[in-house]
Parts: sequence; C-alpha cells; structure tokens
Amino acid sequence: MKKAISLAITLCFIALITVPTWAQDSSYQIVLQPSTLSLEVDDTTTINGSILDPDGNTVQDSVAFYSRNSKSVSVSSDGKLKALKPGTFEIIAYAMAPNDDRLTKKLTVDVAYPPVTDIKFVKMPKKVYTKTALSVAYKITDAKGFNRENVEVEFSSSNSNVAYVDQFERLQSKKPGTTTITATAKEVSASWEVTVIENPVTSITLDHEKSPVRTGDVVHFKAIPKNKNGKAVNDAPVQYSFISQTDDNLGEAAAGQIQPDGRFVANQPGLYTITAKSGSAVSESTIRVNARNVQQELQVVGKGIISDVHTSDLWVWEGVDGGDYAITGTWGGNGEAYFWDVSDPANMSIIDTVTVDARTVNDVKISKDGRIGVITREGASDRKNGIVILDVSDPHNVSIISEYTKGLTGGVHNAFIYKDHVFAVNNGRRYDIIDISDPKNPTTVSRFELDTPGHSIHDVWVENGIAYSSNWDDGIVAVDVGSTPAAQSPERHSTGVGSLDNPVKLGSYSYPSGWNHAAFPFKSQSTDDFYVIAGDEAFPNGLNIEDGPTQPAGWIHFVKFEDGWDAPKEVARYQIPEAGTHNFWVKDDTLYIAYYNAGLRIVDISGELMGNLYEQGREIAKHIPTHPEGRISNAAMTWGPQPYKGYIFVSDWNSGIWAYKLQDSNTQGTN
Amino acid sequence: MGTIISLIVPIITFSQNNVTIMKLIKYSSIFVGIITILVNPLCAQTYHAYVAAESDDQVYQIAFNAETEEGSVSDIIPVGQYPTETEGPHGINVGLKGEYWYLSIAHGTPYGWLYKFETGSNKFIDRTELGMFPASLETSKATGLLYVVNFNLHGDMEPSTVSVVDPEAMSVIKNIKTGIMPHGSRITGNGKFQYHVSMMTDELMEINTTNMKLSRRLSLSQKDDNLPRVKPTWADPHPQKNLVYVAGNGSDEIIEVDTDNWKILRRFEAGKAPYNLEVSNNGKHLVASYKGEAATGIWDLESGEEVAKVANSRKVTHGVSITPDSKYAFISVEGIGGQAGSVDVINLNTQERADVIEVGKQAGGIIYWKTTSK
Repeated sequence: MKKAISLAITLCFIALITVPTWAQDSSYQIVLQPSTLSLEVDDTTTINGSILDPDGNTVQDSVAFYSRNSKSVSVSSDGKLKALKPGTFEIIAYAMAPNDDRLTKKLTVDVAYPPVTDIKFVKMPKKVYTKTALSVAYKITDAKGFNRENVEVEFSSSNSNVAYVDQFERLQSKKPGTTTITATAKEVSASWEVTVIENPVTSITLDHEKSPVRTGDVVHFKAIPKNKNGKAVNDAPVQYSFISQTDDNLGEAAAGQIQPDGRFVANQPGLYTITAKSGSAVSESTIRVNARNVQQELQVVGKGIISDVHTSDLWVWEGVDGGDYAITGTWGGNGEAYFWDVSDPANMSIIDTVTVDARTVNDVKISKDGRIGVITREGASDRKNGIVILDVSDPHNVSIISEYTKGLTGGVHNAFIYKDHVFAVNNGRRYDIIDISDPKNPTTVSRFELDTPGHSIHDVWVENGIAYSSNWDDGIVAVDVGSTPAAQSPERHSTGVGSLDNPVKLGSYSYPSGWNHAAFPFKSQSTDDFYVIAGDEAFPNGLNIEDGPTQPAGWIHFVKFEDGWDAPKEVARYQIPEAGTHNFWVKDDTLYIAYYNAGLRIVDISGELMGNLYEQGREIAKHIPTHPEGRISNAAMTWGPQPYKGYIFVSDWNSGIWAYKLQDSNTQGTN
Repeated sequence: MGTIISLIVPIITFSQNNVTIMKLIKYSSIFVGIITILVNPLCAQTYHAYVAAESDDQVYQIAFNAETEEGSVSDIIPVGQYPTETEGPHGINVGLKGEYWYLSIAHGTPYGWLYKFETGSNKFIDRTELGMFPASLETSKATGLLYVVNFNLHGDMEPSTVSVVDPEAMSVIKNIKTGIMPHGSRITGNGKFQYHVSMMTDELMEINTTNMKLSRRLSLSQKDDNLPRVKPTWADPHPQKNLVYVAGNGSDEIIEVDTDNWKILRRFEAGKAPYNLEVSNNGKHLVASYKGEAATGIWDLESGEEVAKVANSRKVTHGVSITPDSKYAFISVEGIGGQAGSVDVINLNTQERADVIEVGKQAGGIIYWKTTSK
C-alpha cells in the first residue's frame, strides 16, 4: 500500500510540474486610462477601465472603482473622481474576469498642495526693548485658503546689529535702531518693521507674600521693572528663573519649578534663590522652603478577602437601622453583588448576596436615605443589560424591586443616584437619566450624548445639579441638570440653565492621551478655587486577569475653570511613576485615590496647586493592599476608595474590601 | 491534499481551449483523486477554528483531532481597547486566503470596530471603525471586499447599514443602507451576492457585492401587520443551488428561499428559536442552533426532515460552522452568568456530540479556519 501511495504521489507531482506556468495565470487584466494621475485640490476627472484578455483584446469596457481615502479623493463606482485634499492616495479598480477570476488594479493619485499665496506676521509690536527676546508669530495661507504649517520659513533682518530672528524663531533685540524683518515662504514674503529702543529698566523689585513656605506651596513672585527714576516700566518683559540649594542635594532631581508669570513651587526643602531679569537689570530673592510634613500613619483596620472573583466598585452607607453597611460589585464573574456589615470595620462580613444575570456588576450605588440600591449589568445572557433596582432598607435581606433595561440593553458600566434619578452610563455612548421615584416603574426622562466624532463616556458623578462625566478622548464634561447656588463651579456660572429632563452642557476639557476615566468636582476649602479633577485609566502593558500583577498607567489631572466653563486650564497633576490611577474621592482638602498597583494614596490638596503633587511631599499616607489568597495573589489592583465616618474603605480588584484609619500625628504641617 | 486540488481546479477552468493540457490535467486530477481516497483514512485530520467569547473579550483558537475526536484550546487572544470594560467580540470570519481572521467588536466609542489579525500567530494587524454593534461578516470572492452588517442591537428602531471594507487597507469604502437590525450574513460561493436578514422588518436582504447596492428584499412574514414575527437572525446560501436558508428566530422555523424566483419554497418547523444555521459543503445537511432550546438541529435538505436534535453542553446555543468536508459541525454555546462558554463538536455522520471544548464566557461568533494532517 505504501508503495502505491508513493508512486501515485510522484506521478501526481510530475503531472503538476509539467503544467505550463501560463496555464496557472488567468492573464486577464484591468487597464486604466489614465494610468497615473497628478491633480490639484478640487480638480475633477474621469478614469476609464477595461479588461483585456491574454491576447490584448478588450473583453469588457468598464470596471468599478472605490477610493481608499474617500475623504481625500472621492470616486464614483463608474470612475468620476474629485481631489479633495493634498497628498498621495489610492483608487482601486475591480472587476470579475470572464472566467470569474477577481481582478483589481491600483491607481495612485497625487494631489499637489496648493501654492502658498500669503504670509503675514501676527500681532507683532512695532517697538521692543533692547536685550529682550520675543517669539515671532506668523500665518501662512495657500491658494485654497488653508492655513499651512508644513512650509519652511526663512527670516532675514535688514540690520542684524539691531535685531534678528534666531533659530528658534525668537526676535533677539541687540541695540537701538530700526530694522525690517522679512519672512519668506516659497514665493511669498512679509515684512515687519520694528524699532528697538534702549531698555529703560535699571532696577527690579522682587517680592512675594507667602511666608513661611512649605514644599508644594505656590509662591507668587511679583517683579516690577523700574526706570532710573524709580517708575515702573509696565511693558518691559521679565524673565524668572531660580537656583536651589536643597537640604538633601545627593543627586536630587528637579527641586521645583517656576512659571513665566512668577509662580513658584518647591518640591524639596531647602534654600531657593529666585531671579527676575529684564534687559540688564536683575533682582534676586531667597526663600527658605520647609518640608510639608503632612505624613500620617495609616492603620489597616480590617479586610474582607474575596478570592474567587474580581471585586469592582464599592459604596458605604448608614443603614436605616443606624448600622454601617457596604456593597461591592464583581467583575467577570457570575453577576453577584455582596452586602457587608462594616459597623465594626475590623470584622467586616458578608451578610447578603444578590445575583443577577450578568458577568459584571461593575458599579454599585445606594441612595442617600439608604433605602434604594442600584447595580449595573454587563454581559447578560439575553443581552438585555440595564440596571437592577434593589430594596436595601434591610441589608441583611436585600430584594430586587425591578430590572430596567429600556434603551439600556447594551450594557451599563457606571451609574449615579441623584434626587430620585439614576444617571446610567449607557453602552459607553451616553447617559440616560431615569426617574426612580417609583422604583417599581422607572422611566427615562432624558439622555445626554456628545456629538463629537467617535465620542464615548465612561462614568458620571453629580453634585449640586451639575453632572461631571468622564469621556475618554472627549475628556471631562460638565452638564447642568438643575444646578443650585451651592454648585461647586466657576463664579460666572448661571445656575439652573438645565434640568433633569433637559440637560445642558456647560463646558469640557480634554487632553491628548484620551485616558479620561473619572471626574470629580473640587472646591478648595483653603483657597475657594474650583477644580474638576480628572483621573486616567490606561493599560499599556495589558491587564492580567488570571495571574500576575498588572502595571497600568495614568495620573490625576487638576483642571481649573477660574475664567468660566469655556476657559479650562490644567494646572497640576498627581502622578506616581510606573503605576496607574482608577477611582478617587475628595473630602475637604484631601484626595483619596485608588491607584491600582500603587494601592491607596491619600494626598493633601490644600492651597493652590501647581506641578506634580507627588513630588512635593503632599502624600499623607499610602497602603498597597495585597493578599496571598486574593483572586490574584499578592497583586494590588486598588479599585475605589470612600472616606466614611473617619475610616477609609477601599475595594481592591484582586482582594476584596479593606478598611483603614489615619492615625493622629504629631508631625502636622506647619500651617 | 486540499491544496493540490485547489491548484488543479482553476487550471482546469482556464485551460478549456487546450486539449493536450486538459488531458494532462485530467489524468493528474484522477491521480490526485485516487491519492485522496487512499490517504485520507490514514491521515489524522485536525480541524482548526476560532470562536469569540463575547463576555470575556477574548477569541479562542481551538483544534479538534478527528482521529481521537478530542478538542483542545490552541491559543487565547485578548481583544479590544478597554480591558476593564466588556467590548463584546461578536462576528468572526477568516479571509479568502486564510492568512487573516477578522473580528467585529460590538461596543465601541460609540461605534463598533472591525479588527484584523494574522491567522496562526494571532498577531493584531489593524482595525477600522464601523457602525453600531457590527455583527456577522464575510469576504466576497468576487470583489475581495468584506461585508459587515451593523446590527445596532441596542439602538433605536431605525434602518442600519452594511459596511463594505477594503481588508487590505482596512478602510470602510461604503455603507449600504438596509433594514432594521441587520444580522446573520453570508455570501454566495461565487462571491456575487451577500444575503442577510433584517430582524425587525422580517426580511431577507440581498446585496449585489459588485455594485455595492441592495438588490432585492423579500418579506418572510405570513402576516401583513408590520409586526416582527419571524425575527430572522441568519441567512446562508446553499453551496450549489440557488437557494438561501433563513433562521426564523421568532417563528421557530427554517425558511428555504428560491433566489431565482425570489420566493419562499418551503418552511420547516424547527426547534425553539433557531439562531444561526449553515448548509454543509456537500449540500446534504443544514445545521441550526436552537438558542431557546440548548440544542442543535441537523436537517436533511433533500427530505426536509430534521434527522437529529443534539443536546448542547449548556444553555444558549449560538453559532454554527461546518468543516468543508461536511464531517463535523462546530457549535458555540454561550452559557449563562459566570458559566464558561463551550464549543460542541458534532459528528455529522453519527449525529452525536463528539467532544466539548471549554472556552470563554458567552461564546458566540465561530468560524472554521483550516484542516491539517499529521
């Protein structure tokens, strides 16, 4: 038998290799006219295609087309083409040959950039002082009216002894006189005549108000340049810098930072000399910066280890019977939510379990009166997810009041209860506002959805009638859902522009990473400044679900809206290297962060905020909760914190629930 | 051996004018046929497939040894962008040459995505954004383009689209407007027509793949009250005949449609809530998943009889993929809650379950990839 098989295979192989190679190729081909295309923006043309047989005879005089970049070059199926944007793009012609072979042909289309038609200097002064540097601003436009930033610009000066533009496009003024600066881009140029006058500044006064100073304190230095008569020269530019002599100078990193407007913050204790310079005039001021000294001991009071499933969010509340209770969700499990008696945080125990049709109960919330609970569902077996409303008035015997899936089938990841309404984050797309005043018969009263391309939403938090949502690429978004005068918001905010059934967007702020995962309003008790604190979530190194630790990324962003909702500024961050943030909570001027692999972090956010708070000695305490019997052993993935009645309760994805207490410390800060 | 045959067949097609060559090829083909018959029983065939675990955001590469009738997991591929959220990998298919597999991710931002992976290495290649809740997908042999239905399961009741994707550039080149909740799409063997169903309008839809237009639509309902009663969830064209089979999820029936005359030929009373179905390559059997019955139905298409109903390993039967030799059907079974999903491998000759392969939660989209021999 083996010989027969061997012989047959050999014969077959010979038969195959004797087949002429041409017989393996259909040789039908698409021919395009024109075969190459070079166009300008807005040009139109028609491509014709035909199929030739192996002898070069036309067997079909039409083919179909599509564009791989239809927003840049559009083409109809019969070949009518229009160039929309500059660049190089591909058109594909396709057809079936008479023998049913699939034929394609690629046509490259080069669309030239329109010629540059104009360059203009933008808001450049006519006069500058000697020995100053000024960034040059200009604008280039092309024949189609597009602003162009990909054009090389050359600068020249008619008198470079007076002033010239350096390689960083800054005007360097050297001595009094007048010069003409010319900017040339392609075939066009623009001129700017500037007069350099002698810098009148002969002295500078440099003051600050804050004393004593601790690490993390923002000190406002005010420099006033003056002429020889002692009169202030208000239009003279001032540059600030500093040198430091830290107490520990053994290879320290950056000791602090100073902003162009003179705001300074020190990371390390020590002596700092701030310098203000204008022209040839220089002034110095030396300050002593002390350690912030806010650290406190953090006691692990108790823990409730969950070993068989990942734990998600938590909520702690005072029950109607006066006892203290907590609810935790589960992730990637069997749709369970656990109820805990945490009246004695040293001995937390599960007192009831609710199981719903879901794989993940990501979020859990309890109403202010402690009677109604809401849990979210993802991965329902019937793909009808939504929310489940619970009667938690007896946490030992929790019952399901209703399941609400209307318009929510795609999965609810997070929810928030506010004034008998549930804000349910719906399918990562929008949030639905649901009236649960009759919890047996919930009704959706409105929806809020962004209209940006590719928008999404992750979480929402509501305080005083403003909903703060976190929206990945779209960042933090504030929406008026019936704001009250107590709303923590910018001073210029008009309250009550929206309502629960008519949510109105107030403002937003996004940042380049697109990692925005949480948002929390914060009105500083110490400064009255209003911030929205944004938290990241990112897994550049993946998420280990079964074993091994995970190393996420991301940090906390402090965004200030002091000039109104339409003028956000990111002013500070709290970033631990090689770790990633998750949920957080603010109480008074203290920030509690579940920092995934870096555990619980408690941070002093009093005073003005600037720079990376992590480096400023603002961390009050930390604990990294790990347990050998965790869902993943000895690997912290701290999920959510909640300060409650002097304790801090924390859920950890890998180990369950933890209770902490800050110990009184004799080493309080100097304030 | 399949590879050799696949080389011979196009040569035969092309060389019809050349008698000498034809003879040579004819005799070669006979040899190949003989060898196929001789060798097949001696070789241990292993079938390879991919299955998506919708609630675990994972795709499982599985293998089934036909000699031992034992299955195994070859690889687990995490998919998606947001690891702590459920993004829902749903539809899955392998490209024309078997070099890549394609996956629809249901929940995006807010639109879903089409992902492209290399087969075997399972390396991520690229992705492109589609419509709301993209579901089943397939590449056309005629155009080389991918056609993905945007199911929009969780959206408002409004017409959705079929996205046409250039799989090389991974860019959407057209969105074809179709019915409400389009689902269950498959393409004819020659690649010229794509069939899918419009679940909430009780229609079978036909797309001309070349001009990328909706060419015909057929009402599947027996009533004129505009209420979705059939709730069709899948359509699969017969591999040889001009017939399309539709799973009537709401009416518990399988519907046979004549595409020449564009009319319904037969209605088969099926198990509860048929969801996916596939006709075997030899045209003999139709295998349907009964989602509401935790069972799989095997139908003899000639007689129109259900010849076997095989109980599945757990509740919520989902997808069907039959090996090209028509010997085995791979059935994905979702499970409920924390229960793991599974793939039941059914021997179509014995019409019994040969093995159960444990996979991730809510196993759904499933597709045969390739057969290897020892």
